[in-house]
Parts: sequence; C-alpha cells; structure tokens
Amino acid sequence: MKKIKIPLISLGLSLITGIIVILLIGKNPLTAYQNLLQGSGLLPKPSYAGYKNMFTDFMVFLNTLTPMVFAALSVVVAFKAGLFNIGVSSQMLFAGFIATITIGYSPLNGFIAKPLVIIIGIMAGALLGALIGFLKYKFNINEVVSSIMLNYIVQYTTSFFINTKYIDVVSRQSKNISPDASLTLKNIEIAGLKIDIPLGFVVAIIVVIIIKIIINNTKFGYEIEAVGKNKEASTYAGINVGITLVKAMLLSGALAGLAGVTYYLGLNLSIQPRTLPTIGFDAIAVALFGNLSAIGSFIASFIITIITKGSAYMSSISKVPAEIASIIIALILVFSACGAYIKLKKGAK
Amino acid sequence: MDTIIIDGMSFSLPLLIAAIGCIYCERSGIINLAIEGFMGVGAFSGALAVVLTSNIFPQGGIASFILAMTCAILGATLFSLLHALLCIKFSANQTISGITMNILAIALTTFLTKQINSSLFNKPSAKLELGITQKFTIPYLSEIPIIGAFFQEIYIFNIVIIIVAILAWYFLYYRKFGVYLRACGDNPQAVAACGIDVVKTRMYAIMISGALSGIAGISFAYSIFANFSSNIYVGYGYLSIAALIFGNWKIIPTLFACLIFGFSRSLGYSISSMLELPSTFSDIIMTLPYILTLLLLIFFSKNNKMPKALGEIYDQSKR
Repeated sequence: MKKIKIPLISLGLSLITGIIVILLIGKNPLTAYQNLLQGSGLLPKPSYAGYKNMFTDFMVFLNTLTPMVFAALSVVVAFKAGLFNIGVSSQMLFAGFIATITIGYSPLNGFIAKPLVIIIGIMAGALLGALIGFLKYKFNINEVVSSIMLNYIVQYTTSFFINTKYIDVVSRQSKNISPDASLTLKNIEIAGLKIDIPLGFVVAIIVVIIIKIIINNTKFGYEIEAVGKNKEASTYAGINVGITLVKAMLLSGALAGLAGVTYYLGLNLSIQPRTLPTIGFDAIAVALFGNLSAIGSFIASFIITIITKGSAYMSSISKVPAEIASIIIALILVFSACGAYIKLKKGAK
Repeated sequence: MDTIIIDGMSFSLPLLIAAIGCIYCERSGIINLAIEGFMGVGAFSGALAVVLTSNIFPQGGIASFILAMTCAILGATLFSLLHALLCIKFSANQTISGITMNILAIALTTFLTKQINSSLFNKPSAKLELGITQKFTIPYLSEIPIIGAFFQEIYIFNIVIIIVAILAWYFLYYRKFGVYLRACGDNPQAVAACGIDVVKTRMYAIMISGALSGIAGISFAYSIFANFSSNIYVGYGYLSIAALIFGNWKIIPTLFACLIFGFSRSLGYSISSMLELPSTFSDIIMTLPYILTLLLLIFFSKNNKMPKALGEIYDQSKR
C-alpha cells in the first residue's frame, strides 16, 4: 500500500493539472479523459467500423503496450545495478533489424519462425547491452557515453543497410516482413470480428514474473542490487563487481531486444530507417513511475499507454490537442520524482 | 576545405557552451541530464520572441538577435530553476529529475508552439520559422590560407559563445566562486564547514547551466536550422553530455571532444558530396564521429573520474 501511494498521488495531481489545462483551452476535460479510455478500448465508443468493437480496440491496445513493458523492464534491471541504460532504443532497433533480415524475410513457417524471432531478438539485444557493460568494466567508459555513441552508430548503420538493400520504394521503410514471422496475428476473424492477437503480450507477462523472481529471490538479483547500492561494500562482500555489471547489462539488453522484436515484428511490420524508437526513452520515464520494480513497471506501462494510445482518439473526437497527453505524462514524472521528499517529510513526522 | 571549418565551428561551438554549463552543474555535485530540455526551452523562448517582434525588429538583424539571446537565456534559466527545485529542495533523484525535465520540455514546447501557431498565425504547424542571423567575415585575417576559414562567415552566435566560454573557463578555475563550486562537488561538508552556502552555490551552478544551454539552443535554432521545432535539438543535449564525460569534467578536453564531433560531422558531409556518393552512403560516414569517439575512449578513459560527491543529496546533518 505504501509503495503505490506516491505513484497514485502523482497520477492524481497530474490528472488535476491536465483538467485545468484542458479547461484553459476551452474544452471539456471529462469527455477528453473519457476519450482516452475509449481510444484504448477500456470504454465503449459511440460507434464502430465493421468487424470492430471495444474488444478489438483493447487487443490493439495490448499490442501497443507489449514493447513498452519490455523496454521498461530493461531500464529497471540496469537501474538496479546503478547503471543508466539510455541505449534501449538502439538495442531495440538492432534486435529488430537483425531479426527482420534473418527471419523476417525468410520463407520459414510460423511455428519455427516466431520462436526464432524471439530468440534472435534476445541475443542481439543482449550482445549490444553486454558490449556497453564490457566497455565499462574493461575500459572504465561511462555507460551513458557509450550508449549514446552506440545509439548513433546503430541508427546510421542500419539505415545504410535498409536503404541499400531492403528498402520499399513506396513507403520509404524497410520491406514488410512475412506474416509468418510476425509476433502479432493480424486481422484474425473470430465471431464476426477482425482481431489482432499480440502473442508478445503473453511472453511479456511471463517475463515480468521471471524478472520479479530474479530481482527478489535469486543470488544474481541480490548481487545486482548490492552493486547498485554500494560498489565498495559489494567488493568486500566478495561480489565480482565488473562481471555483475556486464551480466546486468546483458539482461537489460536482452529485455530491450524483446522490446525491439515486439515493436518491429509485431506492432509494426517494417523499420523506418534513421529513426530510433521513442519507446526506448519513454521507457525510462515509465520505469521511474513504476517505482523501478517489475510489477510496478507493468502497471505504469499500462497507465502511460492508455494516455499515449488514447490521445489520438481524443484529439480527433473532442479536438483536444494530443500533446496534452505528453504534458500529463511529464507531470506524472515530475510529481513522482518528488516522491522522495514526501517520504522524507513523513519520516520527520 | 573552407566549408568544413565553417560548418564544423558552427556545430561544435553550441555543443561546447552547453557542455560547459553542464560542467558547472556537475562539478558542483548535481547530475545534469536536463541539458537537452534547457536547450529546448531556451530555443523556444528565443524563437518566440523573434517571431512575435518580427514586425518591429526585422528577422536576422542585430536587435532581433540580442532579443533572441536575452529571451533564450532568461527562459532556459527560469526552466532550470525547476530542476534546482526538484534536486535541492525536494531531494529528488537527480538522474530522474534530469530525464523528467527533458520530457517536460519537449511536451511543453511542442504544445505551446502548436497553440501559438494556430491562435496567432492561423496555421497548424509545430514549427516557428526563423531567418538566419547575419554572418560576417573578418577582413585580412580571413585571407590567410586554410586558417583563414575560421574568420569567414562567422555567425554572431559563435563570437558570443567564444567570449562566454573563455569567461566561464576563467571563473571556474581562477576565481573564488569557481573554487568553491568545484569543492561543492567533491566534499560539500568541508565547504559548508568553511562557512559557504552549499545549497546556494549549487543553485547558481544549475542556473548557469540553464543560461548557457539557452545560448546553445537559440544558436542552433537561429542559425544552422533556421526554425524552432522540437526535433532540432533532440540528441544534441546528450551529445554534449557525452563530450563533457569524454573530457573528464574539464573544460579544455571537452572543447576537443566538441571539435571532434563538429568537424568529423562536417568532414563526413563534404567527403560524401565531393565523391558524389549516393545519399545512402552519408549514413556510413555519419557514424564516423561516434566510432572515433568510442575508440578514443578505449584509450583515454582509464583515469576518468567523476566529481566525488556527484549525485549525492546534500544533507547538512551528515557533517
């Protein structure tokens, strides 16, 4: 109960601020918020196109949510080890790119292709993450700098290969992957509806539980937290700090890789060259809002995705600018960053 | 050759001034990842001032330039107070606060730009169009072969940045304030024991960082990019942070890091246009500065040390 108090207070305060802003530009805040939920498939819309209803909207919402959950977990694991993984975006892009060119364009059938996509995504992400950890351990290179450099390097190199070999001249994106490799089953007809089924979401739920167990109940998780809290003390306690850092980044990268394949081979079917997915940066915020815990970041991803996903519907229906959504998210973060102060004051009383 | 130097300088210098601001902040013990946000708000305030007064002061003129600069500095400094409030008063985690500032800055400036555009100018765009400030060439000096290019087509911004950078360097290393500030980052308790107000010093450091990032932001907006929108500065804040970590939190090595970024960027562009390579190859060339930096870091970062008390929340009772 104590843990969720501060996130709840910050959510409440920022929603109130949002109401004030929406009132100031002369719109109705209640319909705006209702639209957010309708756009995410949590409340029924007044009308639907053929083959669609609230349930199909909700499945689309889950599809959007999946990469965010993985990306937030990736940030959480790095944070636990005292590392700041600002390279989630490039790890996502790298994993998505490798999986796309190896499996996405292959004629493999779905039962082999889908697990392979996941495995390759994990490996590619882990490789890039571990590289950052290794550079820190071996050469004392600050992880923020190396991740930023890798962000640029991955962004431009993948763009080069996409533009020279895999470009779709019409959409200016990479060619679409084969439907067999996609982690989302698109437009499946069930009971008169066309439903997107995000298989990645099932994986996400399993991974959230695994990460929670790793952090709370294993020696490795304990070592990561010890290193994150105090490197000297961990060394005295016999923990190999360098190796732990590399392992933590490996795990963080693997999770980012999962985010990458669910984003590029699930939510989307192609890669836009020269663009890092913004999810990688938003995930930092989501992880912080989720108290840097596994379950917390799942809930936080859920709430933040309602706001981002619903904002498009909100702006089209009640003409409230979609940017309000990002302001509300930013405010949630500002308020939850003050959480330490609220705790401190309570302690004083 | 000339264009490499001209473009290289006008990209490196804004990076440098933002990095110097960040050095002030981090040497005082406050982690500052909010450079990007400060730059954005600075660029927005400056650009807004230019657009609103373009009837009175023609765009690109001296008056408009001074106005843009002042508003950028004021706007960014005001915004940096929010980071100060969170880090100092509310003892927030400084990394978290910095990231939050960036997200808030992008959200706010995009929202406000759109609102202002649609209500004042009746166009639904997320951009404030700006001209380009005057460039000038110094006679005689500019005629020296090769080096002369450093004195050709200089934006006024570059001059301002060089002057401010030298002042900042002098104050950080040779004035009492700079010594206290650096001491705050290594051992705040000792500084407090000497009767100096740690909280105030850190607050000034954050404000300086805001002001300098404001200069950087408006320099990008009002020169090479010639507009304000949220995507003109995204990435450059983190790049200048990379530069200062590369420079081991010292101003002179940071200058070299910024020059590496700026010059390899302009060198890359002109090589690809000289060889008449298809535009896709420019992607490969664009990776050069970053690969180069990583390689250099492998050799030079063994002795990198951050300020000792960086990121620690100052607690008077710990003394």
